[in-house]
Formats: sequence, C-alpha cells, structure tokens
Amino acid sequence: MSAVASSARATPAVGWRDVALAVAPLVLALVVAGIVLGVAGHNPLEVYWLLLQESFGGVKRIAATVAASTPLILTGLATAVAFRSGVFNVGVEGCVLVGGLAAAYVGFTYVGLPAALLLPFALGAAVIAGTLWMLVPALLKARLDVDEVVTTLMLNFIAVSLTAWLVNGPLLAPGSANSATPMVAEAARLPRLLPPSTLNAGFLIAIALLVLYWLWGRGTALGLETRLAGLNPRFAIASGINVPMLIIKMMLLSGAIGGLAGGIQALGTVNRFVVGFSPGYGFTGIAVALLGRGSAIGILLAALLFGALATSGATIQLFSDVPIEIVNILQGTVMIFAVARFGWLLKQRQGGK
Amino acid sequence: MIDNIIHAAFVMTTPILLAALGGLVNRVAGLVNIGLDSMMLAGALVGLMVASQTGSWPAALVAAALVGGLLGLLMSLTVTRLQANEIIVGLGFNIAVAGLVRFFLKSWYGTSGTLSLPDVAMLPRIHIPVVADIPILGAIFSDHDPLTWAAWLLVPVTAWFLASTRMGLRLRAAGAAPQAARALGLNPLNLRDASTVFAGAMSGLAGAYLCIGVVGIFNEGITAGRGFLALAAFYFGRNRPWPTALGALLFGLFDAIQIRLQGRGLPAELVQTLPYVMVIVILTLVAITMKRARNKGA
Repeated sequence: MSAVASSARATPAVGWRDVALAVAPLVLALVVAGIVLGVAGHNPLEVYWLLLQESFGGVKRIAATVAASTPLILTGLATAVAFRSGVFNVGVEGCVLVGGLAAAYVGFTYVGLPAALLLPFALGAAVIAGTLWMLVPALLKARLDVDEVVTTLMLNFIAVSLTAWLVNGPLLAPGSANSATPMVAEAARLPRLLPPSTLNAGFLIAIALLVLYWLWGRGTALGLETRLAGLNPRFAIASGINVPMLIIKMMLLSGAIGGLAGGIQALGTVNRFVVGFSPGYGFTGIAVALLGRGSAIGILLAALLFGALATSGATIQLFSDVPIEIVNILQGTVMIFAVARFGWLLKQRQGGK
Repeated sequence: MIDNIIHAAFVMTTPILLAALGGLVNRVAGLVNIGLDSMMLAGALVGLMVASQTGSWPAALVAAALVGGLLGLLMSLTVTRLQANEIIVGLGFNIAVAGLVRFFLKSWYGTSGTLSLPDVAMLPRIHIPVVADIPILGAIFSDHDPLTWAAWLLVPVTAWFLASTRMGLRLRAAGAAPQAARALGLNPLNLRDASTVFAGAMSGLAGAYLCIGVVGIFNEGITAGRGFLALAAFYFGRNRPWPTALGALLFGLFDAIQIRLQGRGLPAELVQTLPYVMVIVILTLVAITMKRARNKGA
C-alpha cells in the first residue's frame, strides 16, 4: 500500500523535473531576449504578451500559427531521425530547397495531369530530390567516415546557389524579373483547410508522419536499433547491428522528410519556388528537434512554439516598433541553451550513480 | 587584367585567411568553431561604427577584435563549462548574432540591412615604390593594407607557434589528448577557451576588414558565408597553416573571379558553389588515402 503510494508519488516527481528541464532552455532564451528588448527600450513582458495574443488569440491567428509550424514539424522530424541514430545531419535546409524546387518543377511542368496523379507525383519528386541530396554525405559518412557535419553544411550552401541559378536561368518564369519559377498548376496544390489562412493538407501529412515516428520508435526493431546506435555505437556494433547501413538509411530518411518539407511548402503555401524560399526552416528544425528532445510530442510542441514566433513576429512589426529579428534571437538562444541542458542532465545522472 | 584579378584575389583572401587561422588554432585545441561567421558579422558592424566615431582604423580593429573575442568567450564557456555540443552552439550563435545585429540596426539606426556612416576611417594602402611597377609581383606585394600583411605574416608565425612553443604544444595537447594534458597539470578547458577567444578575435578582424578594408559600409549579408569558407579552408588544410592559407587563397581567387564573371553571361551562382564542392571532394580524397594507408598497414 505504502509502496504503491510512494511509487505513485515518485513518478510525477520525475515528470516535473523532466518538464522543468525541457522548459528551461526556453525560459533562459526568453530572459536573454528580454534583456535585448529592455536595452532597446521595450517592455519585454508587453512584447511577449503581444506575441502570445498574435499567435493564439483567435481561430485565424491559431490557423496562421499552425500553418507556420507545418514546415518546422517536418524539418524537426527530419533532424530528429538523423540525431537519433547519432548522425549529425545539419543539411536539412538543403533538402528543403531541392525538394521545394523539384515539387514546383513537376507542378508547373506536367500541368495536363489530373490532381489525383499530379499532386502525389510532385510530392514524390520532392521526397526523391531530398533523398538523393543526402546520398553523397550518407555514403561518405558510412563508408569513409567523412565528417557529416562538414559535408551537409557545405551542401546547404551548394543548394542555395544551385537553386538560385536554376530559378534565375533555366527555370525562370517567362516574363518574370524576380527569381521565381512559374506558378504550379491548381491540380498540384495542396488543399487549404481553413481559407483564407495558408493552413493546408500538408499539416495533416506532417501530423501523420509524427504519429508514424512515434509508433516506429516504440514498436519496431529499426527504432530500437537506431536508439542503440545513437546512444552507444560500439555496443550497437557488438550486438550485431550493421551501423554503416543504419547510418545510410537514417540519413536518406532524414533527406526524404526534409525534401517533403520543401515540397509541402512549395505546393501548399508558396505555390512556386522563389529565391529565399526557406527562411532557414532546416536550421529552425534543428532547434525544434533539440527542444523537443527527439520525442514526437516534443517536436510538435516545439514546432508550434517556433511557428507562433514566426507568425506573430511578422505581425508584431506592423503594430509596434519591435523588430521581427527578436524571433531570430530567440531561436538561436533556444538552440544554444537546449544543448547546454543535455550537458548538466548527464552530469547529474552520472553523479546519481 | 591579370594584375587586377590577382590583387582582388589577395583582398578577398584576407578575411578568409584571418578567420581560418583563428579557426585552425581553435580546432587544434579541440573545438570545431562553426560560429566564425557570427563573430565576423559582429566585428564588421563594430569595426565600422568605431571607425566612424573615432576616425581611427587601429581603434576600429581593436574594437572588432574585442567584440569577436567576447563572442568567442561566450561560445567557448557554453561548450566547455555547460558541456553543450559545439556544432549546435556554433549554429545557434550564427542565427542569434545575425538576428541581434539586424535588431540593433533597426532599433539604433532605424535602418534595415545596410548601414552607411560618415567619416569612416578606411585601412591605408601600403605602396611599395619599385615593386609596384613590376607586373604580377606588384599586384602581389604592393598596395595592400596592413591587415593583409599581418594575415600573411601570421601564417608562418602560427606554424612556428604550434610546432615550437610551449603554449602551442599545450594547445595541441588540449585538443589531441585532454587527459594527458590534465595529467601534466594543465587545464584543457582553459586552453580551449583561450583558443576560442583567439578565433573570435581573428574573425572580428576579418569582419572589420570587409567593412573598413573593402567597402566602407556595413550590410547584413557582408560576410556572405565567409566564416564557413574559413571553416572549409582549415578543413582543406587539415589544420596546417600553409595549406590552410593556400585554401584561403584559392577561395579568395574564386571570389575575385566570380565578381568579374558577374554580368558576363557566366552564372555567378555556379561559381559560388565551387569552394564548397571542393571541400567535399578534398575531404573524400583525404579519407580514401587514409583508408588505403590503414588497409596497407593491416
């Protein structure tokens, strides 16, 4: 009886500590950004209250927030699947770009196809482009142990320039002066869920993938293998897991999801590909994955948070003289504190044992 | 024409080389610095502001180095004391500092993106009389500013420092064998912090160079990812100063050529990808040779 009571009491205690640790990076980031705001002569609390209202005050605002979080759920997930297996893929940004361009290309080229064919075809092209984009760093990491951080980081810059070249030259919309492809056909567009907001069916795809990710992590052998490989590669090798093959699989999967993020953005929100297509979705995805600590629900909450920041940051600039860059400052500091926390978490555990 | 390109190549090499030497020392001591670009950006802004306020370029350089060093210290403390992952912290710094700089431009100067200030003290050019008239040699040696000279002089100095000084040896120990270093009574974390402060200061100088050595104004995109080119340069040079300088020079040459190619029908965007493609190719070649050597040994 008392044992049951104490264990019941012990569980929520651990839960609270986990929640506190998960929220700590956000709180620290808010403090840092608050200091920046204060120095610039704004009242941080007022600004944060305004941000909160602008992101969740009303159905329209919530729809905008959810729409803004859609690409972040996907890039966060793409980053998380790689991190989970111990692979430091920082190249999701590049996958978003090539995936977005591939989807747009299919969407404005094969305009004769019916929606039932064209939409899956365009999304498929995005997935394939993202996957192929990760093929080189995956093979290099698995076969030759080439540092994936450097290769994927370099590939981001290559993707930026390569897609810029394509939309300024071969794929430029006729008669268009700004670097953009033609608009995709109606049939290639993801249906909007709550017009006039840009919330579209891509959000449902993102949620479905999150659920799959959750099931996959719990119930499949591959899910367990990746966790082992991520936690302790030597033990994983010793227990007979083919780690190089696993690395290739997870990096390609990460690329596929990253490409899909770009495809959904191209077919659901932008309806074409333009230079500056991604305001750093891939990099924000890293912050999302870290803040969400790799769990499905964590990724969802973190993506909603950053989506809220992005959408409210854009409107707050209209109603006050607070620069939208406060959002970037928050994103960067959240990233920094999110990994700082892992450090002392480990330390405490070691101390406990 | 050739002289022009050579001269421009050296100009474009200076910021990459400065940051690359800083990043190299940082990496030798055990920290891969992905945040060089953020320290460059901060150095560029502060350099321009101080050059305009004081009218003195040395003061501007000192201020830029200080702000770069301060960012380096903050980054290093997060990595060494809070045990945060250096890659993520570096990326976080790039995002946060870029945001901070734009936030500051908007709230302080009410401008977005570009800042142009009056009375900016630019770096002087050192004209070397007879050499200046010799083709090619003149372009290489004459009419460069003090910071370019300093950057190139720092290449042999860094090589000597790492190979033959006590401090250099300690830094290498902190990077390669932290436990051994600790056994010798050294604190590898302090050494790592010092090397990151150095990398930050060098990147700050690199940023200031872009502002008061090249264009005379600040733009939020002024670094154009050169901090990452610096990273590429010391990966390319595998932590050895001379090959790193060669890598920086190659990137500087690409930069100079790409500026010339703009408006000539050749797509600048594709030329811009070359340094990054090369890094991947070179890392691959290095890995293949190392694998072969291992296989032979086994």
